[in-house]
Amino acid sequence: MRSRLIARWQGILLSLIGIVATVWLAATDRLGLYIHPRYFWFTVIMAGIAAVLVVAAFAFAPLREAEHEHEPGAELGGEDGPDHEPAHRHRSEASRAGRLRGALAALIVAGAAIALLVLPPTTLTSSTATQRSINSTGSTLGGEAPTLVGGDTSQFSVKDWALLLRQNPDAEYFAEQDVAVTGFVTPSPDDPENVFYVARFVVTCCAVDAQPVGVPVYFPDWEESFAADQWVAASGAFVPNEGSTSAEPLLLSPDDVTVTEQPEQPYVF
Amino acid sequence: MSRLPTPSPPALHAPHTRPPRRRASVGLALGLGLLVLFAGIRLFAPDATGDLLSNSVQDFFTLSISVVIESLPFVFLGILLSIAVQVWLPEGFLLRHLPRNAVARRVTISLLGVLLPVCECGNVPLARGLILRGLTVGESMTFLLAAPILNPVTIITTYQAFGWDDGILVARILGGFVIANLIGWIYSRHPSPMSLLTPTFQASCAHAHDEVRSSRTRRSVDMFTTETAAMLPALFVGSAVAGLIQVAVSRDLLVTLGQNPVLSVFALMALAFVIAICSNVDAFFILAFGSTFMPGAVVAFLVFGPMIDVKMLALMRTTFTARTLVQLTIIVGLASAALGLGVNAVA
Repeated sequence: MRSRLIARWQGILLSLIGIVATVWLAATDRLGLYIHPRYFWFTVIMAGIAAVLVVAAFAFAPLREAEHEHEPGAELGGEDGPDHEPAHRHRSEASRAGRLRGALAALIVAGAAIALLVLPPTTLTSSTATQRSINSTGSTLGGEAPTLVGGDTSQFSVKDWALLLRQNPDAEYFAEQDVAVTGFVTPSPDDPENVFYVARFVVTCCAVDAQPVGVPVYFPDWEESFAADQWVAASGAFVPNEGSTSAEPLLLSPDDVTVTEQPEQPYVF
Repeated sequence: MSRLPTPSPPALHAPHTRPPRRRASVGLALGLGLLVLFAGIRLFAPDATGDLLSNSVQDFFTLSISVVIESLPFVFLGILLSIAVQVWLPEGFLLRHLPRNAVARRVTISLLGVLLPVCECGNVPLARGLILRGLTVGESMTFLLAAPILNPVTIITTYQAFGWDDGILVARILGGFVIANLIGWIYSRHPSPMSLLTPTFQASCAHAHDEVRSSRTRRSVDMFTTETAAMLPALFVGSAVAGLIQVAVSRDLLVTLGQNPVLSVFALMALAFVIAICSNVDAFFILAFGSTFMPGAVVAFLVFGPMIDVKMLALMRTTFTARTLVQLTIIVGLASAALGLGVNAVA
């Protein structure tokens, strides 16, 4: 009986968990950790509408249940509802299946509550950045590159520099350019001792499609000073890759690398 | 459900023992209590709980949560639209003006998704409602398969994700249209189409007009309860599987498969089958793989996924027999694979 109740109300419970999590993330300005800003309003408005329906669902008695109670014979005699199980001939089997379904439903509700209500929201980590291979070709990096000549390079993001490096890996092009970027430390897969990336995730829709981009920094034995996933601000100039086994043709030779706070909006769009 | 006393919470069974107003306020209090409880957990959950998890486990949660937060409003929208069509529109409003010629009728039905921009999750209950209102089984399949692809939300998100690159958008729209009409035509030739439906659903077709007598508002709220109970567990489990695959499947394996014009098509169809993501957002999902796979594979993913996947089969099983669904899966699978391979051959 209890399991049937859970199975029936799990949609409302899951809605409520999703709505509370969404509204809280929006109120604390952290919705951007999961989805692109263009969906903020849509997401919040739909959460509001759903909240009204959830409250109404608590206030009204479920119709179908009420209907069954009016017709005690309904369950034995006929199959009167689209959601009705044809298993009435095998009562014990049906009740076992019902218990199992109830247990599964409870498990899903509990899992959703832990994921959405208990765990603190965070960004993706360097383990995903490494797994998704930084600066891999693709539409995320296919966007318009900013123009370097005459552009305001002080405003350039990690993504802008990564785009430029891909499109024009020519040392002379970058000569005399001051580079300043902020991102999290991700070890280079082909030369993890001497090179790390100052990386950011580019998000097109939600965190699932996050693509890592990064500027490679030549910093022998960087692990003595920094740890993976730490946020740093690095400045310097691009120089041809000479001392490293990394496949990158140009590396940032840093004048200065300092540990910094994670920015409010850790992803770039 | 009998009249015997049960140990369940009184608020949920109150209507027959208490006056409705009393019942409503008990229910409201219970709902608001849960709301306060959930908000309280969220506000006071210590930040340190996250430090217990390793990076990959943390990323699994972040990725799964992002699918939930992204899809949830679209699922709510789908449920609202299906409530609007079934409860608020006059009966037969959508079906009255359909052409009489069978082919023209199916073509029109496959474009109904333009009026009803729901993803596949919201479509199953809608298609069931349409069969009850007089659509044939073949026609309902055309609607079921076409609407998730041929609807404005899906087309816009696919355009946002891919633009006109490699003809992915055009192949998706045309492919979805042709496959849906093909299926509708095949099943329209079936000698006894009612045998394609589960006995339970056949029975409810026979009682189609014994509707529960109640106000529209109450029926709307009741539909919201039953629809969220069907959709949201599937959404949460699907999101968790999607997050798990993202963390577990190495990109090297995908890159290797993705460079083969034949294998990449089947690899992505398998992915679409397993992750069961909503058609309104699947274009963005596959964008992350866009670099890895050939365009034909992406097209196969975007055409096959909205029509057939784990979650869809579970939802459709409420209406169609298992045998029908196996046939449907095979035909749609072969057609999507042919489309994907064709796009790869041209690209």
